[in-house]
Amino acid sequence: MATHSTFVNTDWLASHRSPATASRQRGRRSPSATAAVALVVWSILLGWTHPTRGGQLAPPPQRIVTVIPAVTEILFAVGADAQIVGIGSFDELPAGAAEIARVGGLLDPDMEQILALRPDLVVLYESQTEQAEQLQRAGIPLMSYSHAGLADIVTTIRSLGERTGHLTQATSVATRLTQRLDAVRARVRGRPRPRTLLVFSREPLSLRNTYASGGIGFLHDMLDVAGGDNVFADIADERVAQLSAEAILTAAPTVILEIRNDGGFGVDIAEQERAVWRSLPAVPAVVRDEIHFLAGSEFVVPGPRVVDAIEQIARLLHPDAF
Amino acid sequence: MLRVEGVWFRYENDDEVLRDVSLTIPRGGLVGVIGPNGSGKSTLLRLLGGLSTPSRGYLTLDDDDLTSLSRRTLACRVAMVPQETQLAFEYSVLEIVMMGRYPHLGAFSIEGPDDYRIVTRALESTGTAHLSARLFTTLSGGEKQRVVIASALTQLHGPRHTGTQLLLLDEPTASLDLGFQLEITELVRTLNAQGITVIVSTHDLNLASSLCHELVLLREGRVLAAGATTDLLTRNNVRALYGVEAQMTRNAATGHTLVVPIARTQPGQGL
Amino acid sequence: MSVRRRFFVTQALFGGGTLLVCCLAPLIGPTTISLTRVFDTAIPFAENVDAQIFFIARLPRMLAGALVGATLASAGVVLQALLRNPLATPFTLGVSAGASLGAMIVIIFGVRLSFLGVPATPLASFAGSLVAVGLVYSLARARGRGLSTNVLLLAGVTLNSLFSATILFVQYLADFSESFRAIRWVMGNLDVSSYDPILSALPMVGLAFVAFATLPRTLNLLALGTDHAATRGVNVLAAQRLAFVSASLATGAAVSVGGPIGFIGIIVPHIVRLLVGADHRVVLPASAMLGAAFLVTCDVGARTLMSPVELPVGVITALLGGPFFLWLLIRHS
Repeated sequence: MATHSTFVNTDWLASHRSPATASRQRGRRSPSATAAVALVVWSILLGWTHPTRGGQLAPPPQRIVTVIPAVTEILFAVGADAQIVGIGSFDELPAGAAEIARVGGLLDPDMEQILALRPDLVVLYESQTEQAEQLQRAGIPLMSYSHAGLADIVTTIRSLGERTGHLTQATSVATRLTQRLDAVRARVRGRPRPRTLLVFSREPLSLRNTYASGGIGFLHDMLDVAGGDNVFADIADERVAQLSAEAILTAAPTVILEIRNDGGFGVDIAEQERAVWRSLPAVPAVVRDEIHFLAGSEFVVPGPRVVDAIEQIARLLHPDAF
Repeated sequence: MLRVEGVWFRYENDDEVLRDVSLTIPRGGLVGVIGPNGSGKSTLLRLLGGLSTPSRGYLTLDDDDLTSLSRRTLACRVAMVPQETQLAFEYSVLEIVMMGRYPHLGAFSIEGPDDYRIVTRALESTGTAHLSARLFTTLSGGEKQRVVIASALTQLHGPRHTGTQLLLLDEPTASLDLGFQLEITELVRTLNAQGITVIVSTHDLNLASSLCHELVLLREGRVLAAGATTDLLTRNNVRALYGVEAQMTRNAATGHTLVVPIARTQPGQGL
Repeated sequence: MSVRRRFFVTQALFGGGTLLVCCLAPLIGPTTISLTRVFDTAIPFAENVDAQIFFIARLPRMLAGALVGATLASAGVVLQALLRNPLATPFTLGVSAGASLGAMIVIIFGVRLSFLGVPATPLASFAGSLVAVGLVYSLARARGRGLSTNVLLLAGVTLNSLFSATILFVQYLADFSESFRAIRWVMGNLDVSSYDPILSALPMVGLAFVAFATLPRTLNLLALGTDHAATRGVNVLAAQRLAFVSASLATGAAVSVGGPIGFIGIIVPHIVRLLVGADHRVVLPASAMLGAAFLVTCDVGARTLMSPVELPVGVITALLGGPFFLWLLIRHS
């Protein structure tokens, strides 16, 4: 149950500690009626800054603002869409959903607009510490989110479901997701796993500034579930930055997967971009013409659609298993 | 012989710096150009050196119009030592003196034994041979000036140097102490005795007095007078040029007139 | 004659050293390759990984590094002589800022085109450098009396700030990945993996080098002072124009190949002058060669130190350049 302090004492004000500590120092007062109301209002305004404690407010939030595409999709999936009042600039809404106010993204969240929406829960990236402080000062409850691996998607679905009062639906979404993941795993089990290079960024029409997935993070996890071996699985980083031509030749992937999330990736461009890889003819993936482009936001949003992404990748890697 | 006829000069968007200047400088002369600040002394020297061209009039050297000569040809006959030498990099004395051979060499040729001989002679005549391996920036003021003059000399040694060889010195002793002033004065006299025509522009009236055989008096871009030093270095002229009342005394030891400024007056009185 | 002998000896030494470095560089890398396999013509090229690593991954890089290094170092020498300032660099007059702006506009607005095998970014960066050169030149000429080096310097510094401000603005418009790519471009990258960028930069660099070849003696005289040079028969305005235009265009071409790689244009000329004196006839070719060797060496570091990740080569030259400057400062004071 809720343990936020509704009592105020001067110690807590002076040291600005968290409500959990404050509640241990709870003092007893018997003020007059108006003073009591004032104190309660004051503590509500100053109080609640406890991050990532899912679902412990008595009423679930009705005015949620988030700048994270994955969170928006999860909220829709668990049935909390009616409680959303603000979403990020790059968030995708399911077909037919009504437009919701856009408040910016990772680099440029519009704090004024966010505050103007009078949210009762804001979900921010873990790295947006400045904005988090601002919201704490304004007394708005926060939830912090960080990109992590595949397993964390399921956890986030559950915790968001709990926090927004849709635990049942969230559980069923999470279960279904896990089942589909297991199904993919079963299909590709025992099959030879191709050495795969998973590229998520590079210069157009050139192999310079190529970024691939390292051995950590949800891109790597997707590839892993889909039955592929990341050539850079031993790199303990989410990204392998600026691969040199030599590194690609040495890694010798048999399949190259490129995530192209730039809109308007038509057929002719695909052909040009495929041709660029042919400047390294010894790469097995080039020899076998196993260069595939993955277009679609499901590949970059670690949300419920990640299974769609994984299934597509699995189909590419193991066409005969589907 | 150097002839200046009806020369006017102005920088772009500026007033006339030289107005209707006409002069004749004989071959082998040692002429001083004197005048107050802004009188156009440096400009006149630049025109004589071919660094600028007059807006009107012309300058001829041995009956050749300066503007008709190629830069290199002119450089072989006229050398100028500008007022300041600020070196951007650490060159040695030898390298600097050798740079004077530029007008005699093509873009890709390397100096030969002739050039070295000429350079050595120039170093010796300026008394700087012992400095040839030193870096220019490590020299004293007087040594630097002598090296620059040596560099100008190497420029002048044409293969067939018939005709006037002209050396222009812009304020040669301006930043030098007495000792170095004497050195340079001696040097210039020696060079002149060897046949080089010298024109010196200077503030220092006593230098002009002791060194130059002839003077050109410039004021506000016009030639006030030109002639023998002994004739022109008078109280009236000093007053006319500088607005200064001066005492002129004949120095028994050197035989030259000594000019001692006393007080400021209105210029333009006299002459 | 001592100058003649010194000239040939130094050029031979620098040339030999540079050749050695350039021949060794493609042999060094994170992957071990066998030279016999590389040159084994029995194996079809399309299957020969070692040969591809050598001929596609490493050799073009070495050539690009040599080209860019030689160009930036010699352009540095020329510009230092022109501006009569040993602290001038090829980037002082705004060339690299213009090139960076051109490249960034292409990166951030996602222009996709290529011309004669040259993709948009190098083209745009060269165009940007041309604009910068043109602007600086016309600003410096507008004052009338010839090409004043002071005005050149001021114009260059002004343009640098103007371009930098525009770059900041353009970056602000960019999204995260575009911004990141733009920043990476600015750090310098020689991973060309193709001979095309080198071949397309070669004509401009070749022309510039021809111009440079006629300049050394003139640069010596310019170092004395413009009046000194003029009185010795130098056509000062023509020389300044040639020096400025050739050095700037060469820099533009170099920047379009590898990005604005800093410090070469100032470290290398300084080291060369310390070793062989100030005579540009020796300094200019020696700087070109040392510049090539220096950048090729830095690039070997860039691709091996944190393999398979590339360190931007501009970071390495900067890491070497900073302490170098400190040392210079201490030495001079």
